[in-house]
Amino acid sequence: MNLSKKPKLLIVMDVLAATLVIGALILILFFTPVEAVMGPVQKVFYFHVASAWAGMLSFILAAAAGAAYLITRRINWDWLSLSAVEVGLVFSLIAILSGMVWAQPIWNTWWVWDPRLTTTAIMELIYLAYFILRSGLDTPEAKARLGAVYAIVGVITVPLTFFSIRLFRTIHPVVIAPTDSGTAFNMSPRMLTAFITSLVVFTVLLADLVWNRYRLARLQAQNLEEAR
Amino acid sequence: MKGFTAYLRAIWHVIQKDIRVEWRGRQGVPVMLVFSLLIVFLFNFALQLSPDLQAGLSAGLLWVSLAFASTLGLNRSVSLERENNALDGLLLAPVDRSAIYFGKALSNFAFTFLVALILLPVFSLFYVQNMLKLPLILFILLGVGAYTSLGTLLATLSIQARTRDVLLPILLYPLALPILIAAVEGSRGALIGQPLAELQSWLFLLLASNILFHAAGLMFFETILEE
Repeated sequence: MNLSKKPKLLIVMDVLAATLVIGALILILFFTPVEAVMGPVQKVFYFHVASAWAGMLSFILAAAAGAAYLITRRINWDWLSLSAVEVGLVFSLIAILSGMVWAQPIWNTWWVWDPRLTTTAIMELIYLAYFILRSGLDTPEAKARLGAVYAIVGVITVPLTFFSIRLFRTIHPVVIAPTDSGTAFNMSPRMLTAFITSLVVFTVLLADLVWNRYRLARLQAQNLEEAR
Repeated sequence: MKGFTAYLRAIWHVIQKDIRVEWRGRQGVPVMLVFSLLIVFLFNFALQLSPDLQAGLSAGLLWVSLAFASTLGLNRSVSLERENNALDGLLLAPVDRSAIYFGKALSNFAFTFLVALILLPVFSLFYVQNMLKLPLILFILLGVGAYTSLGTLLATLSIQARTRDVLLPILLYPLALPILIAAVEGSRGALIGQPLAELQSWLFLLLASNILFHAAGLMFFETILEE
């Protein structure tokens, strides 16, 4: 097997992403004030929103790469699309789980059928179905072509789902009024700094992970080629 | 203009063919009907429903049974084309392939809508309330239209896979969630006699889904079928 050397820029990016994550963690743990009402558990918020953001961003990236594949028919775009879906799935899962950790003490329940939570959970299911679809297809070409179609149709239903659940909620009485995590409390300047830092850090982390996964997909494809 | 009439005629021919196949074989509508009734019975005992069901529950029950039953019809409609390579014959026809998509989507719509129309009096009987109301039928029209347009596209997609028999519900349900929410909520409102003006956001959502998913079919049907 021909394991091509890891590009230098990618190694630099690995180190950068790791440093940034540790740096953001220190910033959040030691330099942001403890929120007056919620206490220390509010600190989950920084990475929670950042990973939800990274998840959404990578699903959009996956659909865009899918569209690029359908137009150019270059398999590289499919590697990118697949990588983005896989990384996005993990980020969304982190967002859901970290949200639960926060919701248990604050809302006194692990789960609320709120638009954001439900939409994220449905998104997980859509992209799990994406993998089930791919695993049932035989050729890399079919995986790429049909995967691209599903990724694009999937991403256009996400705003529809969010909108319909929100409408559903505003018409129905809300049992546990969700205090919107992002807007219910006013962020102090230092909180805002940590929040924006987390968003930037997770975007870098996302780019690094997708790149690594892309490289893996390319090596897999080469390997398959050589095995033939 | 002449091209457009020819396009419409091609769509009509596909619908006609599907209706003829259905009439001779009777394998779609009766299966969907029996299946949806079975679901009603299962839910009735699983959830211990009372005969004087609230409007919200009966609307939900109607849509769940329609959504499940419709998957059977969609799968059947596409696998029919796969048997004896009938699809190749269709694809050889010198028409734009999206005409085949619209034909299949419309015939699927017609069959599922027919099932819904038969279910309405049955529901009225079982759950002691008149469900034959025009606003409700409007929501069923729009909801089934959006659902089958997305369903036809995804059924054509899932038939390409080795796992074709189990794939469609997994692909379809998460994407169809907004359609089902809007359809259930609109139907519920229509059943308790809310004026349409109060339900217009659901109407718009269903209209938007119809446009969006038919457009997706128009764009991607050919891509899905290339070999």
